[in-house]
Amino acid sequence: MGHTESIFRLDNVSRQFGELIALNDISFEAAQNEYISLLGPSGSGKTTLLRVMAGFEKPDTGRIHFLGQDITDLPAHKRGIGFVFQNFALFPHLSVFENIAFGLRNGIEDVAGTEIDTRVRDMVGLVGLEGLEDRVPDQISGGQKQRVALARTLVMQPKLVLLDEPLGALDANLRSRMQTELRHIRERLDVTFLHVTGSETEALAMGDTVAVLDQGRIIQSGTPEQIHDTPASSDVALFLNRFNLFDGTLSDNTFRGPFGSAPVQNARHNDTDVYAIRYDRTKAFRKGDALPGPALPARYLASEYLGSSVISFFETADHKQVEVDHHLSFGDPGEYEVGQDYILSWDPEHAIVFGREAAA
Amino acid sequence: MSTTAPSTERNGYTSWLLAPGVFWMILFLVAPIMMIVYVSFWTQTTFAINSTLTLDSWKNFFSSEAYVGALWTTLRLWLIVLALTFIIGYPAALFVGLLVKSKTVSTVLLVLCVIPFWTSFLIRVLAWRPMLGKEGAINIILQELGLIDSPIEVLLFSELSVIIGMTQIYVVFMVGPIAFMLGRIDRNIIEAARDLGAGFGRIFWKIIFPLSLPGVVVGAIFVSVMVLGEFATSGALSGRKVNLLGNIIVTQVGSLKWAMASVVGVILTILLGIVVAGFLRIVDLKSEL
Repeated sequence: MGHTESIFRLDNVSRQFGELIALNDISFEAAQNEYISLLGPSGSGKTTLLRVMAGFEKPDTGRIHFLGQDITDLPAHKRGIGFVFQNFALFPHLSVFENIAFGLRNGIEDVAGTEIDTRVRDMVGLVGLEGLEDRVPDQISGGQKQRVALARTLVMQPKLVLLDEPLGALDANLRSRMQTELRHIRERLDVTFLHVTGSETEALAMGDTVAVLDQGRIIQSGTPEQIHDTPASSDVALFLNRFNLFDGTLSDNTFRGPFGSAPVQNARHNDTDVYAIRYDRTKAFRKGDALPGPALPARYLASEYLGSSVISFFETADHKQVEVDHHLSFGDPGEYEVGQDYILSWDPEHAIVFGREAAA
Repeated sequence: MSTTAPSTERNGYTSWLLAPGVFWMILFLVAPIMMIVYVSFWTQTTFAINSTLTLDSWKNFFSSEAYVGALWTTLRLWLIVLALTFIIGYPAALFVGLLVKSKTVSTVLLVLCVIPFWTSFLIRVLAWRPMLGKEGAINIILQELGLIDSPIEVLLFSELSVIIGMTQIYVVFMVGPIAFMLGRIDRNIIEAARDLGAGFGRIFWKIIFPLSLPGVVVGAIFVSVMVLGEFATSGALSGRKVNLLGNIIVTQVGSLKWAMASVVGVILTILLGIVVAGFLRIVDLKSEL
């Protein structure tokens, strides 16, 4: 069979809360056995989308298909879609073991006691909770709660697991460890993860497919490379938090902005004219140096040392902050003096330009 | 040792802070109870009492059919009223605390439950007379509807009227604590249970009810403490047909039979102690508050 079967499909799904449009005509299809990350700023409707898919909310219009079946009118407990809550939502009065066994004991299917025992023990081993089976949620750490929440869902052997900002409640250290672990766990089981997050690094790092949600619409989806290298609109570029964005005007293959004018080979259609250049493509020069492209005078503010790179912050005349990401494998960054003026420049070929006059 | 000095100092402060409370409790709780226990062994004659120790009052209590009967009536009514306040109160609490999504609405509903308390206790009890009486509202309505030919007489001045009156007065003490516990349940937990395939019945019995149990226990303690010591409702609604331990204390004190009143008082206190201790064994309230 040439085509991979889709795990779920959303057809024109909309949901409105009073005046607020949470989901605006969303259509989306996902292949089986994938890690999908859904990136969106807060208020973009990403939690609502998950809740509609899980069956906690009904869409106003549109249909939801899961494994080829229309499940729009099916109640949540009959859908067989896993859901991992941001606050974990563990049952506080039950032990770790009983939390994980809950769905097997109380779900739609009758599962024999011995089978429950083996499946829960296997899952406890898979997520690394051995020895904690008899503790209650109050007696375990945040990372362990996360594992219980995951195990409780995975033990039901769902084909699709929805994760609502699952790493949001963990500290930075634990978050990066759980990132790798989530991917490992998913690869070992035949299951699709739909992971909602507000963090662009998390979305790009974890997803086989990344979908970007804004104001209730999916504005781009593709591989992390596609999203990162060719953002479909200036909004996507903004969420990625890796581009310096400049407003200006695009006409006759020339973009006029705060840096003067720059030649443009091709532009992407957008509602506004925006010039985007990646942080790591932007470089700082002293007055008089030879420049690779446009010249943007800016004052040096501060820098952040990130280990493998240094991010320097500059401010332009109109008080816009511009970031320069210098990777240390390219040699030492220059020494900048706070308050001094420098010239920022870049190779115009690396710029991504969005404009109203570009073909859609 | 430098570390012991501040801790003994703190202990010093602690005992000073505790002192007023301890003093108060000894003066007004421990001492009176000791006194009642003591008086229950005094010698009672028809018109006088003296402090010669005797078991007569205790023997009298347990050999009198009326007194022992009152003990059983008290226990029976307590269990019936407790069961009724739970059966009527729990669904109400479930609605107010869990099913109503808006916090404002649930607060308004709780206040509505408390409104009857703005009138005095006696009025609330006596208001049942025109409701339940032979020519009371309920009988009139049932007769008008043609459901009965002659008025139901057991409605008033019977054990039934006492049960109805007590249930109505005390049910709110059951609703409050349960609604409070239900309101504290994280809604995500219920959704998580649904997502794992549990239907409403399973979610209720496995998640909601166990998590509300501390509220049930607190409510049951409130209701038990009040019902076991009751005398006014049975006095006003039973036509003296129902005698509770509380009523006996009132009549014994009224006829200056201090020794017998003390015996009943001691029995009631022990009963309350057993009941409260029993309820506290069901859940560990310390971990809930």
